Parts: sequence; C-alpha cells; structure tokens
Amino acid sequence: MSGDARDWPLPRGGREGEGAGEGGGAGTGPADKAPQSSGGDPDPARLHEDFNAVWGNPRGWRAVTIVNHTAIGLRFMLTGLGFFLFGGLLAMLIRTQLALPGHTIMTPEVYAQVFTMHGTVMMFLFAVPMMEGLAVYLLPKMLGARDLVFPRLSALGYWCYLFGGLILCASLFLGIAPDAGWFMYTPLASATYTPGPNSDFWLIGVTFVEISAVSAGVELAVSILRARAPGMALDKMPLYAWYILTMAMMIVIGFPPLILGSILLELERAAGMPFFDPTRGGDPILWQHLFWLFGHPEVYIIFLPAAGIVSTLLPVFARRPVVGYAWVVVAVLTTGFISFGLWVHHMFAVGIPMLAQAFFSAASMLVAIPTAIQVFSWIATLWLGRPVFHLPMLWLTGFLVIFVAGGLTGVMLALVPFDWQVHDTHFVVAHMHYVLVGGMFFPLIAGLYYWLPHFSGRMASPALGRWGFWLVFGGFNLNFLVMHWTGLLGMPRRVNTYEAGLGWDLPNLISSIGGFVMAAGVVTVLADILLHFRFGRPAPDNPWQADTLEWATALPPNPYNFISLPRVEGRHPLWDQPGIGRELAAGRGGLAVIDHGRRETWGTDPASGEVREIIHLPGNTALPFLAALALAVVCIALLAKAYGVALAAAVVVAGLLLRWSWENGAHPAAAPDARTAPGDPPLHSRTADGPGLWGMALTLLADGALYLALLFGWFYLWTVGPTWEVPEGGGMAGRAGRLLLAAAVAHTLAQFAMQRCARRMAQGRGPKHGAAAFAAVAAGGALALGLVYAALRAAGLVVTATAHDAVIAVVLGYSLVHLGMATVVTLLQALRVRRGYVGLEAPYEPLVVARLWHYNGGVLWSSYAALVLFPPAWGGI
Amino acid sequence: MKPPAFHPAQIPLGLTLWSLWFVALYGGTAVACERLAAGPEEAGPAAINLGFLLFTLAAAAVPGTYAWGCWRAARLSAGRPSQERFAARVGAALHLVAVIAMLFIGLPLLGLPPCL
Repeated sequence: MSGDARDWPLPRGGREGEGAGEGGGAGTGPADKAPQSSGGDPDPARLHEDFNAVWGNPRGWRAVTIVNHTAIGLRFMLTGLGFFLFGGLLAMLIRTQLALPGHTIMTPEVYAQVFTMHGTVMMFLFAVPMMEGLAVYLLPKMLGARDLVFPRLSALGYWCYLFGGLILCASLFLGIAPDAGWFMYTPLASATYTPGPNSDFWLIGVTFVEISAVSAGVELAVSILRARAPGMALDKMPLYAWYILTMAMMIVIGFPPLILGSILLELERAAGMPFFDPTRGGDPILWQHLFWLFGHPEVYIIFLPAAGIVSTLLPVFARRPVVGYAWVVVAVLTTGFISFGLWVHHMFAVGIPMLAQAFFSAASMLVAIPTAIQVFSWIATLWLGRPVFHLPMLWLTGFLVIFVAGGLTGVMLALVPFDWQVHDTHFVVAHMHYVLVGGMFFPLIAGLYYWLPHFSGRMASPALGRWGFWLVFGGFNLNFLVMHWTGLLGMPRRVNTYEAGLGWDLPNLISSIGGFVMAAGVVTVLADILLHFRFGRPAPDNPWQADTLEWATALPPNPYNFISLPRVEGRHPLWDQPGIGRELAAGRGGLAVIDHGRRETWGTDPASGEVREIIHLPGNTALPFLAALALAVVCIALLAKAYGVALAAAVVVAGLLLRWSWENGAHPAAAPDARTAPGDPPLHSRTADGPGLWGMALTLLADGALYLALLFGWFYLWTVGPTWEVPEGGGMAGRAGRLLLAAAVAHTLAQFAMQRCARRMAQGRGPKHGAAAFAAVAAGGALALGLVYAALRAAGLVVTATAHDAVIAVVLGYSLVHLGMATVVTLLQALRVRRGYVGLEAPYEPLVVARLWHYNGGVLWSSYAALVLFPPAWGGI
Repeated sequence: MKPPAFHPAQIPLGLTLWSLWFVALYGGTAVACERLAAGPEEAGPAAINLGFLLFTLAAAAVPGTYAWGCWRAARLSAGRPSQERFAARVGAALHLVAVIAMLFIGLPLLGLPPCL
C-alpha cells in the first residue's frame, strides 16, 4: 500500500529497556485495547517496522504520491516560506523605490505590478497556507490521531497551492503580473483599463490557490470534530483546536464569495458578461462587496490560528493552564462570527448611507472586545504562572506589543470620520502591517522556534535567535510606526514616487532603513534555523515540558504519529500522564494492530469524544497530484484563451476525481476486508455515519456560501444597481419559468427516491435491485438537468447585453453543473452496487451522495423563487 | 427548532441568529430605503428606524431567552457529563454575546436617518 518505505527513526519512547512510565491509557472500552500479542508487550522495533511498512513515505519521484499529513504539512510550510521570501523581496523593492523622493528604479507600471504581487503573495501564498500547513502538520498529533480524515484532500490542496502560486508568480517574470492592487477593484481590473492578461493571472491563479484553502478548511474542521483521541470531549480539546476549528469554518464560509467574484470578473473579462459594468446594468461596488465579504474575515482567518499558537505556547512557558479556558473559547467563536459583519468598513469612502456605515462601525468596534478578552487571558496566565523566558516567549512578547498597537489603530479606523481622513494613505498600510505582521508573523516565528525540535529533533541557538528577534522587532517598528505619520501627513498608498519637500522625505527614508533592518532580522532567523539542523543541541523528550500530545511522538515524528492511540482524561494529557509517549510507543494504547495493512485512526463522537468507529484512511496515491496537474493545465489554457484545451483538461480532472471516489469503501484499494479486532467498533465505511458525511456537509456549506453570494449579487443589483435594467420580454417569465418549475419538481421526486434508497440501504432493507434503483434516480437527475437546460434556452438570454441576463445565465449554469455532478456520481453508485463496493454491508456512500441531492433541490427551488417569483413581486416585469 | 440546553448546537446558535439578524438589518434597510424614500437625497421616513428598532428588540429576545435557558440548565447540571455542562455554559455566554451585539449594533437606529 505504501510503496518502498523509507527508514524512519525509532519512536523515542519505544527503545528497549525504557519501560513504562506512570499513567498510561487506563480505562475500559475499545480505546484502551492493547495490541494483539502473544504474551507480554510486543517488540517496539518490530511494531515500528510493521507500521512503517503501511504508513511509510516513498522517496524519489514517487514522493508525489505522499498523502500523509506530516509530509503535506511540512510541504505547505516550506512552500510558504519560499513565497514569503519572494514577497519579502518585493517589499524590499518597494522600500528602495520609496526611500528617496523622485526615485525611478521602477517605472509606475512595474511598481504597480510589484506592490500588487507583494500583497497578493503575502496574503494568499504565505499567510493563509502557512497557517493551514502548520495546522495540517500539528492537529492530528495534538488530537492523538494518526492522520487527518481526508489525506488525499490535503495532498490535492497542497498541489493546487503550489501550482497556483507558481502560475501567479510566473506572471511577474513575464512582465504581465496583476497590477490593480491586491483587492483588484473594478473598473481598474476590468478589461477596459487592464486589457492584458494581468488581472486574469490574479483571478485564475488565486481561485486555483483557494481550492487549496477550502480543501484544508473542510479537512481540518472534520478532523477536529470526528477524529480526536477517545475521551477528548469538547471541553478538553486543546485551545489550538478551537482556534483552528473556527478558522476552518471561516474559510469554508468566507472564501466562496471571493471565488464567485473572481469567476464573475473573469467571465466579464473573457466573455463580456457585464456584472460590474455600470454601462450595462452592472455595478463595480458589487465587486467590492464580494471581495470584502471574504477580505475582512481573511484578516481573522490569518490572526486566529496565530492567536492559537499564543494560547498554546504561553501556558507552557507560564507553567500553568491558561486562565479562562471557556472565556477564550467564547472569545474565539465571537471573533469568528462578528468578523463577518465588518466588511463594509473597507468601503466607508464609497458613499454608503450613514446608518449602514454606523452598523459596520459599531461591529468593527465590537470585535475588539473578544480580542481583548484573549489578551487579558494571556496576561492573567503570565501573572498567575511561573514564567520562564525562552526564545519563543520573546516573539510572543513582541506579538503582544505590536498587535495591541495595531488593534488600537483598528478601533480608530472603525470610526467613519477618521477613516475618511486617512483612507488610502500610508496610515492604513501601517495599520494593516501592525495587525498582520504583529498578529501573524510574530506568533508564527514563536511557534516555529517552539516546534523546531519536531522538525529536526534539535534545538535552535538562543543567541542567534535573540539577534534575529531584536532586528525584526526594531526594524519593523522603525518601518511601520513611522509610516503612520507618513500617512497622517497625507501620503497616498500605491504611488510609485513623490516630490521632495512635502514632508514625506525623512519618514520614508526611516521606513526604508527600518525595512532593511527587518529583512536582516529575517535572514538571521533563517540562518539560525538552517544552522540548527547541523549544530543544534539534540532535543530531549518534551523539551519545553508542554502539555499537549504532539510532544508524545518521536522527534521528529514517524508518519504514523503513534504506534498506539492515547485515551485522554483532561485538557493537559502530558502534564497528567508524563510517560504517555512511552506507553503509546510500546503499543499499550488503542488500535495497535497493523497486520490488516490498513491506515486507521479512531472516529469519535464530536461532543463526547468517545469512540464510534474506526476510520480507515487511504494510502499513498498519485491521484491528487495528477488532478492538480490537470487543473493547472486548465488554468494555463484559460490564460492562453485555448478554451478547447481547457475543456479537455477539465474532462481529465473530472475523470481523475471520479477515479479517486471509486477507490473508497469496500474497493480493493481501500478496505475490502472489514474485519476488526474483537471489541473494536466497525470500519466507518460499514456504518451509516463517518467523516465523509461531515465532509460533504461542510463542502456543501462552502458551496452554499458561493450560491448565496450569487443570490446576494442578484438582489443587490435589483435593489441598488445604479443602471439596472430588465430586457424587454426577457428573463424567466413565461415558458422558461415553467420549465424551471418542472425541473424543480422532477428533481424533488428523484431527490426523495435517492433518500429512500440510501436510508433503506443503511437500515439493511434494500433497496431491491439496488443498482437499477440508483440508475433510475440518476435518470431523474438527468431529466431535471435537461429541463434546466431547456429553461436556459427558452429564456433567450443575451448575456453580453445586460447584467440581468448574465446573472440569470450563471445561476442556471450553476444548477446545470451541480445536477450533472449528482447524476454522474449516482450512476457511479449504481456501478459500485453492481461491483459490491456499496451494499447492505457497506451502506455509507449513498447517504453522502444523498446530501448533494438535497442541496441541489434547495438550490433549484431557491433559483425558481429568485428568478421567476421575485421579479414580478418587486415590480420589475 | 430549539435544541436542548446541553446540545453542542447551542454553541454556534446564538451568533448564527445574530448573523441572520445582521443580514436582515443591512439588507432590509437598503430595501426599505429603495421602496420608501422619495429619492436618493432623501433621509427616508423615521418609520424605517422604528420598524427596525422593534425588529432588533424582538430578535434580541430570542438569544436572550436561550441564554437564560442554557444558564439555568448549566446551574442545575450536577452529574451530567462535563462536555454537556460546557456546551450549556459556553452556549449561554454566546447567546448573551449575540444579544449584546444586536443591541449595540442596532443603537445607531436611535439617532441616524436611515437613507442618507
């Protein structure tokens, strides 16, 4: 299953003669089961070899098949580091250009590309993927699991990120990089003012990368909810897991509006569909809404995992549990929700009514409170603890100082009159860097130093590390503190140069010097990290005396994390049971059997954390890599306007993903043998529940967020579109509306038939003629598909003439794609029933597919209400 | 509709209600201004403010009631599993947060014209 396994270090706790420590996985039930052995404990070295044979990572070109979370997480972080250095280099170019008045190192055109790419790279290719990569790496270990629940999705996400990022960055070397700013406002980014491919690189490249973000969001959320260590109830989860759960849900809901906006803008640019063009009924402000619906939560998507690092590290160095665990959970969730009610504060200058601005102003002030609760919790933890000041603490202190300052300027910017004064000046740039660098970069470096022994088994040099910190801290403040004043003096952002004598000369020079000092600090930190691999002191077990389970693995960890899986009784498993690592390595925890050849981890109840089933995980496969590669071809072909090639590559992608779904459940490449050890629960694919149901639900939540953003656009244009017009006799009135109604009715019948088939199979009662039943349901889906297509034709839309027709085409096109998908995967279920991969013994998959049917039904009826019933009710036709 | 006081769904419920209220408030004022204001330069009738104030108070009463229910359940929860008590307590706090957020964000309705 795993190919030629690489030699991994023996688990540290598993060396012969080390014996058992205190504590251990006491208790009853399957989670406490010892491995099958014939007398006494099994040989740890033998166990390691056996586990490595199943979980090991291949080398050479076959390394592209690796799906293991440890390897994927590291790849995310290393790639993120590469993009960070690239983005940092662009920042240095910007500071060089602005150091003195009248500099002409870069032309205005090149400067526009450089600042656009700096923002884009740092936000989309560094901050989010880096935080996701760290979470992908850490979470299963922290939760006492062997892997995330959808390892192939992690791998797909990584490859999409890498290829999308490379495509995006390549544009700069070709001199055709995006140049309309990182938020790509229309009409500047539209075809009229950016006729070249610059904006296309952004729209297509970023959307490609966002596949990665949403994949990781789904993956992380489901893993936290369904694959924790037995006993790890909601109130015993590490705080980091709460932060990542919140971040993941925010990604799932927050990224789709931008994906939609990007699709619409690309359709406008490539096909002339005028969503944002006010001369044809569109509205450029709609782009701003869609962008900032994503863009403001994005700030917290970046900040929350970093705050999670703080809440993880600080109690360790304070040597006491965090003060106010439940309050921190409340604060994190509050931040996650309220952050979706702030987006308009980026648009205070566009002419929105005062009352609406006041709502967003109030929400912007409100969001400071949960952040303050966390800050007070951290201070109280330090106050009541016995702090030790190791290197990561230095970075945490820097974070507290800088982030609190950034938060205060944030509250200033939440006040509409002040925002108007400094809008589009360097003050905003300085505030943003205080929040993002202070709120994300400093905790990230603290975390990297803290978890460095995990990556290398060694400790970093405190002396070099301190130099790095002070250079970054000093350089950062020199750069960005002064930049607040540059902004208050009126210097606008995004100008490539300025005249001498405006009072901006000195502060810009100081900022540039600060920028280069900061860069020297980053180089020092990098040198420290590189050198420690060679010269670092070997790390002892649990070097910081931490409380979380990731320190119970070997250093560096093996691909399987734990030979046997822990049971936890409290929030601080390693403080409660310091010897648990040795216990687990000796095979005295749960699921220590590997002779079945499957990758397995516990599936647990989302609330109580008690074991429900065994989740079997896929092994190494090239499918995610190939799918991402084919997607990259789609993107490049779209950029080259080779639409035939793009279509062909999209068909290849669909084929690869269907093959991926084929290798599940009882398939020989997955889990054909469903036997488990006596007393253990069944495999998830043999139950009516499992992570796939949750994965489908969250995927549909993301999908629903995209669809709702589309409906928002429709209603927005009807309500406040400045030049909105309904074409004469057009729209969905008449025959087109009746056809859409027929489609919704036909789909509803098929949807309930699907539900009945799935439920009967889960109850062990059928359906009779299973394959034929699923085929019949698929036929119903095909009928609905045909009716929607007929409605589209009957509507007589002229999609390039008005935004009205363009939006209708997208709404119907969305349904066509989804109905096609449901039809094909249901046909696949019919085939799988025939092959015996799905049936009374393995009834799980139809339940997953049924969710897609329910979703599609909701979409069809909603579309009918929005397109057919709403316009006459509003008085439009 | 309302989950039991100890159900983990209580945790996201309050702020989900806040989200729905917020969308209704922002979207609703836009629609009301479009329908009821005489023109783009008009402040709009005060009835819009009054209507949305009443709506806000009614909406805030829902998580307020839930907060009370969760809090009372948490106080009487001796012997229940720890995660259930946790869900009730955190749920109560988050319902209360939703109430505060609704009332605070709704405050401008008291003083600002709806459509200018």
